[in-house]
Amino acid sequence: MNISGEYKKIKRTGILPGVFAGGILAASIPILELAVRSEQYTGLVQSPLQTILEADWQMMAMLNMLLVITASCMLYHTEYADHAIQRITTLPIREEAVFIGKFLLMTGLSIAALVMEMLSLIFCTLHWFGGEGGAYETCYGEISAGAYLEFIKDLAADFAYCLGMLIPVILLSLLIASAWKNMWIALGIDVVCVFMATIIPERYFALSIFPFALPFRILEGVSADRAVDYLIAAAAEAMIIGAAEMIFMKVRRALA
Amino acid sequence: MNIIETSNLTKTYAGFTAVSGVNLHIPRGTVYGFLGPNGAGKSTTMKMFLGLTKPTKGDFVIDGKKFPQDRIRILKEVGSFIEAPAFYGNLTGEENLDIVRRIIGLPKSSVDDALELVGLTQWRKRLARKYSLGMKQRLGLASALIGRPPILILDEPTNGLDPVGIHEIRSLIRSLPEKFNCTVLVSSHLLPEIELMADNIGILNHGRLLFEGTLEELRRRAQAKGFPAENLEETFLALIEEDNMQRNHIR
Ligand SMILES: Nc1ncnc2c1ncn2[C@@H]1O[C@H](COP(=O)(O)OP(=O)(O)OP(=O)(O)O)[C@@H](O)[C@H]1O
Ligand SMILES: [Mg+2]
Repeated sequence: MNISGEYKKIKRTGILPGVFAGGILAASIPILELAVRSEQYTGLVQSPLQTILEADWQMMAMLNMLLVITASCMLYHTEYADHAIQRITTLPIREEAVFIGKFLLMTGLSIAALVMEMLSLIFCTLHWFGGEGGAYETCYGEISAGAYLEFIKDLAADFAYCLGMLIPVILLSLLIASAWKNMWIALGIDVVCVFMATIIPERYFALSIFPFALPFRILEGVSADRAVDYLIAAAAEAMIIGAAEMIFMKVRRALA
Repeated sequence: MNIIETSNLTKTYAGFTAVSGVNLHIPRGTVYGFLGPNGAGKSTTMKMFLGLTKPTKGDFVIDGKKFPQDRIRILKEVGSFIEAPAFYGNLTGEENLDIVRRIIGLPKSSVDDALELVGLTQWRKRLARKYSLGMKQRLGLASALIGRPPILILDEPTNGLDPVGIHEIRSLIRSLPEKFNCTVLVSSHLLPEIELMADNIGILNHGRLLFEGTLEELRRRAQAKGFPAENLEETFLALIEEDNMQRNHIR
């Protein structure tokens, strides 16, 4: 029930077209950038994925986050606007299950956006770096089946890492959206958090694991240890935020 | 046999007592009218029955079950409509009922059945946001009636309906125990309305239960106290007034 039920509730809210529009917008960033000034990047002797992500991921991550926070606010807005949640809580289901359903749905939508972005990375790599003697060849060898496999493996790792970094944001923005019946307050808090995240200097690890700062992290060009540190931080945050939401709902029910 | 029973049920909000030591007895297969002026505590009592708010003191049994341990089993048996209609404005009436249907786990046909019961079939494809007040009210009722649950808790179900609608819904509620063998707890401010629907009534004022019994018993009680008994509305008003005066004396 959970995820498909939650999916049915977003009909006509504009969330789905919004996710597609946002995904396409984010996907077009590296394409536009490379179309305009590929000469700045094509000469670099490093993995083309690293080149593209280092150049454009900040902006793409920002778009992904804005997508997640607005969609999360809308998801709970449909519940609160006409008190639908009041009817739902008198049905044989837990409010916690609604939250989990929304989390799964939001994760699915984020995956859809990320897939679009990864497709764009494939296109950019092959189009601008795939030529003879290009970075792709230097990095993965001749364009043959084996080279593809290596490349796809790297891409999959990037994809999984980006998704992992986004999970705490999904959870936290859903928590914030569920806590305020007025969507604008939740959205305001989220936006403040995102902008706070953009001014956090990367060199302070303790600060850079602020949930809304995590999506700016990329797997390329950092040591494996660092990457693992961030993954652990993301997993820990996901668990803490999830637990906090469960406790919050319990307390809110008890105080009602 | 009582399907719902409360013992000394009390709800206090930050020092203010909304429901005070109420003992209700709602017999199975009847319509029970829950009467009281604004702020009497009707909605609060009903919310406790649905687990929307916890009693401060006392407790209650619904069909032999208790909160919180039997929450899911109780809610499976109870169709409810509390205060304002609650719905997804971005979905049609039909889609709204389908969400509820899926959660309860009912067959697809139950949606049509519920729409038909409340006379919403012709507007099933319209967005709930664009419903008129009466249509929203009917949608709320349909969502309570879906699957024909054995217990119905309806808070002022005829609010906002036109005279024809009021008549339809009253007749529907009146007929539910016989047709579907269910028990209905229905609240209202109006004794004449309750008179037309209910077998038993409970009168609440400032959180206290002033009277519980059949209409006949209410009439007899009124006569004994010298209240106007030919007109039940006046009986009700006199009862409330007497209680308010006593409260003021105590204060
Ligand atoms: N969440 C709350 N916090 C504080 N007081 C509350 C809360 N909910 C209800 N009350 C108070 O409890 C009292 C009973 O309210 P309730 O809604 O049960 O009345 P009611 O009998 O349903 O009235 P009406 O006929 O107007 O619907 C009121 O005085 C109300 O102000
Ligand atoms: Mg009320």
